[in-house]
Amino acid sequence: MFRPIFSIAGTTIGEAIRRKVLLVILLIGAFLLILAPSLGILSARSETTVLKGMMLGVIQLTSAVIAIVLTVYMIPNEIERRTIYTILSKPVQRWQFLVGKYLGAVGALGLMMALMGLLMVLMFRFEMGMTSVSDLSDLLKAPLMYFVQMSILASVAVAFSTFVTPLVNFFLSGSIYLIGSLFNPFFETIQSSPNTPAVAKGFATLVNAILPNFANYNVQNPIINPGQEIHNEGSYYMMATVYGVFYILIALIVGILVFDRREV
Amino acid sequence: MAAAIETKQLTKSYRSRHAGIINVVDHLDLHVEEGEIFGFLGPNGAGKTTTIKMLLGIIYPDAGEGYVLGKEIGDMDVHRLISYLPERPYYYEHMTGPEILKFYGSLFGINDTAKFQALLEKVNLHRDVTKTIAQYSKGMQQRIGLAQSLINDPKLLFLDEPTGGLDPIAHREIRDLILSFRDEGRTVFISSHELSEVELICDRVAIINKGIIERQGTLVELLKGGRIEITVDGVSEQFLRDLKQTDANVRTLPIGLLFDVTEEADANAIIDAVRNAKGTIKSVVPRRKRLEDLFVETVTSKPKQPATSGAV
Repeated sequence: MFRPIFSIAGTTIGEAIRRKVLLVILLIGAFLLILAPSLGILSARSETTVLKGMMLGVIQLTSAVIAIVLTVYMIPNEIERRTIYTILSKPVQRWQFLVGKYLGAVGALGLMMALMGLLMVLMFRFEMGMTSVSDLSDLLKAPLMYFVQMSILASVAVAFSTFVTPLVNFFLSGSIYLIGSLFNPFFETIQSSPNTPAVAKGFATLVNAILPNFANYNVQNPIINPGQEIHNEGSYYMMATVYGVFYILIALIVGILVFDRREV
Repeated sequence: MAAAIETKQLTKSYRSRHAGIINVVDHLDLHVEEGEIFGFLGPNGAGKTTTIKMLLGIIYPDAGEGYVLGKEIGDMDVHRLISYLPERPYYYEHMTGPEILKFYGSLFGINDTAKFQALLEKVNLHRDVTKTIAQYSKGMQQRIGLAQSLINDPKLLFLDEPTGGLDPIAHREIRDLILSFRDEGRTVFISSHELSEVELICDRVAIINKGIIERQGTLVELLKGGRIEITVDGVSEQFLRDLKQTDANVRTLPIGLLFDVTEEADANAIIDAVRNAKGTIKSVVPRRKRLEDLFVETVTSKPKQPATSGAV
């Protein structure tokens, strides 16, 4: 049952890491990471603080663009190039195909994010002289949570790619990412405020339940500002990951249900 | 002989913004026997690829039944026994031939390097194992497509335009491969526009037009008849007037008169009459009916109404 999934995932990774557009985005991200130390001196704040914020921001933004660009074309391309027909005419179920493509996308995304994470650590080790292994590994906590965040984003884009065009998907997934990252606290405030009308409260609850809470994974503040901390850090990361896996499963199930009846 | 493919009233329709509901495949009754090469012919948009996709379970029929190797279409067990080569296939360009075979083999749980090597030899790609698909010519891509379609040792192969856009050498190579499939006992279902090719290799054909099967049968049955062309010289006006009694078409050529008849008896009557009139018979050329003639005649004639039951 899983063999075709892993084969499709492996092939998807092989293809994704050769896609020029993704490599260009990755190179821009890497270039900005290398350039960051020289930009850090422009700020009056502590150089390390600024640099951490800047580098984590570059990794997060680059990863989000890669996640969307990688996934929006995934299913439409397979249909347009007829690769899907040679695969689905073999003993491969549609859900296996979709899950394989998703895992391949996440695998490729993971590789690219790992490269950026490694580059960031190398910059801190050799440019900023950070020698403590604990400090260096702390830096990687944020990219790890970003990876969960991007995996959710990829699952949303893959689900959309089963029924909307790549261009619509690009804007749809991008908007969901922005709303889920920036407006989640706003919806939570509406929900909890005693003065909010019931209709607005209901709407906020609905939006909050449907949209993925990407803000859960923006854990850079305690890393950038050593004074801040997350209470029960381990448990928080664990719960955020469980929430992410749950959301990914839901998104993929929706995608599978749509894709299963779709005429390709 | 058992049926490799059997459809009963298989129908697929789409909703068009301008024309409402269109039956792309309309009450299709198809019968393909095991071990034969079956040609599925039709003009562009006739419903050939839609039919193949339904038989493969890639799209779903709106009505009717279909059976492939005795099982209902879409049955996953059948997918282990069939294979499909789409028109102008695309394979992941970064892969080499052996990697393509390994990938498609893995979908069946097959990881047999010796088998992959034997398949590459069969399609004559064993000397190009380091080339990626991006470096392959069209003919090579089609051959690797055929190799991947043989990975599971299929009983039934669906080939959609297998020789489309290939040069004459590649044509011959693919044709020989398809003929070898029949020798190995496989059933081959070919959708094609290359009528001369189909005529050379197919045992039976069906012609589909606007979603409806117009003709179906063996080539011998369908191409029965033909014409006989007789060129004569030295006959009088009176002779021509007398000849009006036969069904011959007559054309004047610089070398004489050309009589075009469909019946042997008419040809004999004309030859006797020319001899009696002291004319000269310059040539008698039997023209066999070609698949192209049948195809053009079929698709340009008024379309049939869909059959509601029984075979076409």
